[in-house]
Amino acid sequence: MRRVSVDIGGTFTDCFVVWDGKYIEAKALTTHHNLALGFNEALGKAYRDLGLELEEILAQVDSVRYATTLGTNALIEHKGPRIGMLVTAGYEATVPLSRARGYGEGLDILGQQDLPNAQRPDPLVLPHMIRGVRERVDFQGDLVMPLDENDVRAQIRELVDRGAEIIVVALVNSVVNPAHEQRIEEILLEEYPSHLLGAIPVVLSHQVAGRKGEYVRASSAIVDGYLHSTMYHALSALEQNLRAHRYEQPMLVIHNSGGMAQLNSTDALQTIHSGPVSGIGASEHLAMQCGLGNVVATDMGGTSYDIGIVVEGGIKHYDFNPVIDRWLVSVPMVHLVTLGSGGGSIASYDRMYDTVKCGPESAGSDPGPACYDRGGMRPTVTDADLLLGYLDPQNYAGGSIPLNPRRAAAAVEDTLCDELDCSVIEAALLIREKVDDNMANGLFTELRARGYDPKDFTMLAYGGNGPLHCCGIAQNLSIDKILAPPFSSVFSAVGAGNLHQLHIHETSLYMVLYDSNSRRLFDDYVRFNDIVADLKERGTQDLLRQGMAREDIHHSLELDMRYGNQLVQTTAVIPRHEVRGPADVLAIIEQFSEDYGKRFGKGSQAPEAGIRINTIRVAAFVRHETVQFEDIKPLPAERRKSPPPPSSTRTCHFVGHAGAFETPVWSRAAIEPGMQIAGPAIIASEVTTFLVNPGWNFVAARQGASWFLRA
Amino acid sequence: MNKIATPAKTKTPSSEELALIEKFLNDTTLFLGPDPEIMQNHDLMPRSAVEDEAIGRMSDAHTIAKIRDRIQAGCDEGYEMVEQMGAAPGAKWGDVITGVYSASGDLAIASAGGVLLFSALVHHPIKFIIKNWLNDPTVGVREGDGFIHNDSRYGNVHNTDQSMILPIFHDGKLVCWVASTVHEGENGAIEPGGMPSMAESPSDEGLKMCPFKVVENYEIKRDLLTFLQNSVREPKLQYEDMKVKLYACLRIKQRIVETLGTDGPDALVSTLRLTMENVRTEVKRRVSEWPDMTVRTYVIQDSTLRENCVVKVNCKLTKTGDRLIFDFRGSAPEFTNRPTNTIVAGLKGMLSQLFLCYVWPDLPRGQAAFAPIEVITDPHSIMNCSYDAPNSQSLMSIFTGFTAGQHAVAKFLYSCPEKYTKVHAPTFNMINTFIWGGVSQHGETLGNLCADLNGMGAGATVDRDGEHALAPIFATMADIGEQELNEEDVPFLQLVSKKMTRDAIAPGKYRGGQGYTMMVATKDSDQWGFMTTCQGAKIPPMQGLFGGYACGTYPLAKIRGVDVYDVLLETPEKFRHSIEELMNERPFEGASYTTHHMGMGFEISKRGELFMISQGAGAGYGDLLERDPAGVVRDIEEGLISPGVAERLYKVKFDPATLAIDHQATATARDAERKARLARGVPYAEFVKTWNKPTPPAHLQYFGCWGEDIDKLYMGSAERFRTGSEPKPNYMPNPKDVRIAELEARLAALDALGGEKQ
Repeated sequence: MRRVSVDIGGTFTDCFVVWDGKYIEAKALTTHHNLALGFNEALGKAYRDLGLELEEILAQVDSVRYATTLGTNALIEHKGPRIGMLVTAGYEATVPLSRARGYGEGLDILGQQDLPNAQRPDPLVLPHMIRGVRERVDFQGDLVMPLDENDVRAQIRELVDRGAEIIVVALVNSVVNPAHEQRIEEILLEEYPSHLLGAIPVVLSHQVAGRKGEYVRASSAIVDGYLHSTMYHALSALEQNLRAHRYEQPMLVIHNSGGMAQLNSTDALQTIHSGPVSGIGASEHLAMQCGLGNVVATDMGGTSYDIGIVVEGGIKHYDFNPVIDRWLVSVPMVHLVTLGSGGGSIASYDRMYDTVKCGPESAGSDPGPACYDRGGMRPTVTDADLLLGYLDPQNYAGGSIPLNPRRAAAAVEDTLCDELDCSVIEAALLIREKVDDNMANGLFTELRARGYDPKDFTMLAYGGNGPLHCCGIAQNLSIDKILAPPFSSVFSAVGAGNLHQLHIHETSLYMVLYDSNSRRLFDDYVRFNDIVADLKERGTQDLLRQGMAREDIHHSLELDMRYGNQLVQTTAVIPRHEVRGPADVLAIIEQFSEDYGKRFGKGSQAPEAGIRINTIRVAAFVRHETVQFEDIKPLPAERRKSPPPPSSTRTCHFVGHAGAFETPVWSRAAIEPGMQIAGPAIIASEVTTFLVNPGWNFVAARQGASWFLRA
Repeated sequence: MNKIATPAKTKTPSSEELALIEKFLNDTTLFLGPDPEIMQNHDLMPRSAVEDEAIGRMSDAHTIAKIRDRIQAGCDEGYEMVEQMGAAPGAKWGDVITGVYSASGDLAIASAGGVLLFSALVHHPIKFIIKNWLNDPTVGVREGDGFIHNDSRYGNVHNTDQSMILPIFHDGKLVCWVASTVHEGENGAIEPGGMPSMAESPSDEGLKMCPFKVVENYEIKRDLLTFLQNSVREPKLQYEDMKVKLYACLRIKQRIVETLGTDGPDALVSTLRLTMENVRTEVKRRVSEWPDMTVRTYVIQDSTLRENCVVKVNCKLTKTGDRLIFDFRGSAPEFTNRPTNTIVAGLKGMLSQLFLCYVWPDLPRGQAAFAPIEVITDPHSIMNCSYDAPNSQSLMSIFTGFTAGQHAVAKFLYSCPEKYTKVHAPTFNMINTFIWGGVSQHGETLGNLCADLNGMGAGATVDRDGEHALAPIFATMADIGEQELNEEDVPFLQLVSKKMTRDAIAPGKYRGGQGYTMMVATKDSDQWGFMTTCQGAKIPPMQGLFGGYACGTYPLAKIRGVDVYDVLLETPEKFRHSIEELMNERPFEGASYTTHHMGMGFEISKRGELFMISQGAGAGYGDLLERDPAGVVRDIEEGLISPGVAERLYKVKFDPATLAIDHQATATARDAERKARLARGVPYAEFVKTWNKPTPPAHLQYFGCWGEDIDKLYMGSAERFRTGSEPKPNYMPNPKDVRIAELEARLAALDALGGEKQ
């Protein structure tokens, strides 16, 4: 297999090249003005390793795949066109009011609770750029008020006069009857034909999101419209760069659904968070190939701690209404939770409880932790890590950031020691304990809320601070196995190389499987089967358009179901795609009951209140060849080897252990697969520090994989 | 009731005699009603011997912090379960709380999400269980038991809120309680939706569950469940949500049991107790930073939801040392047959909400945050009603009480050196939404309300305009929902759902966040109706701050005698998307156009008849002549105000076609207005002389104190009053009888006239 996969992040462009059994990782700084330059530089490092030219590589790979945070950054930087919006008259304030709670989406709990300080984010569409059009359909798609076309023309002109560069149309119930949205597009094309100067792109909400909810769908269409041109130009430039270097295959873009597609089959909205989602994809692949069982993927960086769940049996966890930046949208995105804990989290004195608080404030990278010596005066987790002896002041981040322990000590002392009546080291231990507890609690809640027990999981720890904190976090969760995965410095890029071409189509509907009033089971099998067949065909057509063979296309069917009038919609994966009789209906109900019971507790099911399907979703996909990991399982204890002598020692302190430990230090490069090091120990690499707490063993495995096993 | 004083007219009984009397009374209790000893007390229970011993053995602050975080995560998990699994609309928009209570019944740790006022209210029923059922051989409290409760006279805000309460044992000893509470809505009252404004006595208010056992061995008892289902309009809802609350409690219990396993019972008991004590101490410390002073304010309720009248909520807030005292004496006497009264615990709950959301939002949620703050009320007043008074619309009094508190507190915050949030004007405080009920298009009997109550406008702050439709005063991160999803379940459409209501404003240097218009019409059911339960159709239910204005008033408008769905299909050009245009232009021939106060009792609506209301605005902050003219023009551009209002109130001059501001002319107009103000002004003593009247006006029904004398409470006229401490019945006549009497008088007058003519 020959393949290139890339994760273009805010700081680095990570590249992973598979070339006939060789795996090459490379990194370069992201070049925001022209992403192709960073890509070429990263790839350059890889092809030089292979002794080839860029053109030789690109001419022979089966695909080039991109995951990118470009869209997320564009949203944060608020760089986008002036949007004009048409909504159903009477719903003009739906978007500005953002379901009331929009002020707090994307904020931490303190930001959400402080109502006098609450402020909605700067809008992507200004309120006076939203116009109502006279029309209405009801929840079944029946016409209530015909579309007033003269009104539509007048409103469009008004928006154009006010400077609209793109028009977003989001009408009530358009997912069950899109005729009015489609007619508005036709009118817009009549008024502003696409072949003439002054043409205006249009985004129809029902084409961006297939689920009900007029606000979240409008919000999705806005984000999509807002990012459209930025993403299109940036990704097109990348594609042209590939073409210029003899790449002839379609360029593939990773989607936040956990699949990928060609550029011409990609919405801008689908690219958001595709980098972290690729990391979860890599975790899934690794777990499956290496038989790791259930895995919780954790990525700890400077400001955040991302958590993703991968369980055996292929159950996918999606967020159907994820928050992107500050916007609640409707898109099936691989579930990912971000906690505000990282190396930059600021520690402070908790006066009320006479202890230490950690976060949610972060020093970020500027000014950064106090020890960065860039003006930060408040102690952070990284300062504590430094004071406890875990970090090498001269070789942090490959030596690029010299650390100043005196500055760290002063910050800790000034902020905490007097108040807590303790030494700098004791305060640093409290910081360390607190941040690890915070992350453990977040992880615990995340797993338990889905009905899982943490002790049944292997923790995957990556990101700059992951291997440094993983033992402390796992300690609190009864997790015994932690894996710092192979190629962890470019792990998301690895994931991008393993995804399948996939499209998800779904439809909202009111379908009663069991009516508790009449006590009748669903019997409109034709309706169910027709909808499933239609969704399958739409996915199939997407893939056929991208050159896939019909026989290679597979489908999976998921139903979002609920009891009575609940809010929650538990997703049931249904193996049989056709319903032919009561037995099939009961099988669906049984599957739903099983999944629901796992999540909320056995016996919590309430079928007596009735059972409904709210969404039918079909994923159409084509499986591609994937990266083959070697056997990275740790050797049995009796076959493990001793490490070479440590390169040095450092004085370290550990939570729950009195006194200092003279802790041996190794370079990661010196540790061969099969070697075991008992904690306490430090194993340092250019990109991270592997901290082995007392009571844990470090075991090196193939392809750079590293295990932490409870002794 | 509990202890009843035994009058001894002839001689003082001896201690032996007293003991005998007490024993007799205890043995012959007819009925365990709400216990004033429990219901009037919002402070923490004294530290118990078990707590003392546990703290003696384990009090390390860092370990406790760790355990507290773990329990907090468990509460949040339980909360998420209720929110996700709950069938009640209230559950879906976060009108929920889950928590862990000490063995004595105090709420120690509550879920981070949900309705904050619950945090000061849900401890009462647990204390009732402890006092009355724990040692009662016919009831008892055992592992696997669960208790249900909804009667607000035993705790909580109103009877729509139902709690499930589970005791947690360790080695046979009760160590704590877990509970989850949800605003369920329907409860079998005389009107659907659980908050009847027609209730004239507690007997009209539906289910009245004092705390009783409904779960054994972690299973809901089917006979009791059936009884409860049989007592409400939505048996499905009753079943689903009892189960949901039980399983949420079980999930939290799991976390507690794990903590007991890893850290032991001392650590748990110590964590719960010290968490509360630490918060209480911190509140005292923060209060002590405020300036010593007194602020007086009031808010007017303009109806009982049945009739127009003027009802005073009187508030004096005094801070001295580390004591903070809310004095609501002088507020209106309770209405014997109107449901706008509140039990005092409800008022305290809302004040607790004020501190946790608007004063110290960083404080952890729990009972301790309000525990040290004192509240004084007159007995049998609208702020502290009796057992016999209905209170299903207690929101009217607790919300206006909240606003009086919010208005007074702002003046302290302004002068306080350390602020934990911004100084701000009052938030809009009424649940301007439609309550609905009937048989849906799917044949289901439903009764509940639209989530629009969560869209209350925020008050302006010291440095910027208030946010539109931000949050209800009783919760954060609440949701006004998606109409597409609502329409799947209910047989009416919101033809106008979210469109800013023009000129429904609260001006100021910084204006309040504004409200939006809602127009509903039944479509697919012959058995459907609406009600509204708000005040503020004639008098704003709040005050502005530092020169800012209060909000406008918001009446209910109806258009009957039309099927708007026929109009929309056949002559759609006739329809308008604003109340202003529909009511002024009257485009549907033959229809009736009427406006009303916002206390509409449940009314069956025919297909296509329009009911129209607006959500309200938060108050303004500062002198409106100081408002940036650019902000005024932006308000015009965004449809918040009309050009006329901009000129008339803000004195901004601009080109009506381009909205270009004429700054020179604006400055001149504002200067002129300032001079006009000075010219209109009179010295204070002169103002008092001309303004003050000795008694309430005769043409208005007025309730509450008048002027300085807070002990004299008027009851509808200058002739009817009581003292603060001596309750008297305060009956209101049936509005229909009043109307009949009016019409009969007119008939009599016509007869007389006719007689003359004849």
